[in-house]
Amino acid sequence: MPLLEMKDVDTFYGELQALFKVSIEVDRGRIVSVLGANGAGKSTLLKSISGLLETRSGNIVFDGKRIDGLPPHDIVDLGLSLVPEGRKIFSSLTVRENLMIGSYTPKARKQSHKTLKGILKLFPSLHARISQKGTDLSGGEQQMLAIGRALMSRPRFIIFDEISLGLSPLVVKELYRAVKKINQEGMTVVLVEQDVKRSLKVADFAYILQEGKVTLQGNPRHLTEETVKRAYFGL
Amino acid sequence: MIEYLEPLINGILLGGLYGVVGIGLSMVFGIMRQVNLAHGELMILSSYLSLVFLQVLGLHPLVTLILVAPLMFFIGYLIQILLFNRVMQRGMEPFLMISFGLSIIIQNALLLIFTPDARSLETAMVIKGVDVFGLFNIPLIYLVNFTVGALVLTALHQFMKRTYMGWAINASADNETAAKLMGINVNKVYAYALGIAAVTAAISGVLVGMSFTFYPHSGTQYLIIAFGVVIIGGLGSLPGTFLGGLVLGVSQLFGGRILGPGFQLLSGYIILLIILTVRPQGILGGR
Repeated sequence: MPLLEMKDVDTFYGELQALFKVSIEVDRGRIVSVLGANGAGKSTLLKSISGLLETRSGNIVFDGKRIDGLPPHDIVDLGLSLVPEGRKIFSSLTVRENLMIGSYTPKARKQSHKTLKGILKLFPSLHARISQKGTDLSGGEQQMLAIGRALMSRPRFIIFDEISLGLSPLVVKELYRAVKKINQEGMTVVLVEQDVKRSLKVADFAYILQEGKVTLQGNPRHLTEETVKRAYFGL
Repeated sequence: MIEYLEPLINGILLGGLYGVVGIGLSMVFGIMRQVNLAHGELMILSSYLSLVFLQVLGLHPLVTLILVAPLMFFIGYLIQILLFNRVMQRGMEPFLMISFGLSIIIQNALLLIFTPDARSLETAMVIKGVDVFGLFNIPLIYLVNFTVGALVLTALHQFMKRTYMGWAINASADNETAAKLMGINVNKVYAYALGIAAVTAAISGVLVGMSFTFYPHSGTQYLIIAFGVVIIGGLGSLPGTFLGGLVLGVSQLFGGRILGPGFQLLSGYIILLIILTVRPQGILGGR
């Protein structure tokens, strides 16, 4: 049974339909990539999974439990964490406080100090800046902070939304290394990206969205550039 | 110079009290971007609750806080859950209307139960004085007010810096969506925040009740002081609120000394007006 299973999900913004019968499966321990151009429905998909947006029909099952209709904080508590697009670092908190607030759920709180140590090992550059304001960090460091913050909840399933947006290639490389490491430690990963090439290189499986529908899915090694392009741009 | 030392010291001490009066209003604005017009009534409600416990149980007014503070936390929590949380996403007007309605309800309920007579939480502290270098006397109650005020603001600051609830309150204020993704139940956090604001109302209500006489409609008067304090200091800033209290307290007493007692309130508001003109965000206000 997949860890996350989304079946025939329709999501609307008011009267405007943004997702059309989207079905997605993510197996345990995998890295799954979700690709699509701007406005393809990637963010809506993530908002539907994380509970920020209510779905109109279909269902979402996480680890055998239906999560569509649950509030976001309950979904985090079940072990599903989202690193939001644009990082969304809390401006009135320090780096340390930004990390600590990631372990807000009762389960995560008990192990917060141990988890914090692990995260500072994964991103040593955060260690030197631990008492600074979170928003004073560079873009790359803020992305690391956002990832670390999401890891603080000790998730089993972690989604990265536009992890490389606006960052230098060197930083992106480092972030992808961290993603692989996180996956090797047993976490199931979903990468939502516009950076097609890099994302397909690390993924075990890929979904391509266009205008709110899944237009292509499969193992990246079996997808030709031609089919990906067609699914992505609709050419 | 000596003749100005007395209004200076008394003004600072009074300012400590004003700081606690303003902190609840400042918190709610800083966290929810909303103005709670019922804050003054929450204060005076606390004064009357203290009066009841004082008369029934024979406790010292400060000791009644052991009962009044938790009770007010609970009341604040419920007000947020039952009323304010329903309109948080709809801009400032509905929140203003509801809190204004709430203030009228509390005021009239107090009038009905306690009659319009003047009351006070009587303690010997009002009569006792502290001698300052043999020059003049400071009422002991002023010293108590300042100490309690400084303690409350320090404790609140530590709470916000060191506890999960403090971080969660700040996080929710910064970015509600991101806070939800941390597993924070934002509505519950807001309820805690209003509960804490109500506890500061309880503390300032008891201090005010010990220092001055109060009536069912006294809340409005303190709401105006609270507005003055947070506008001078900067909305949402904790140290700013304390500083705002000091500035308002000192300018009131200085004005009273120089221009005569009738000018006490006026001179406070003239300073407020000047600060609004030169620094509209308040002395320590940033955002």
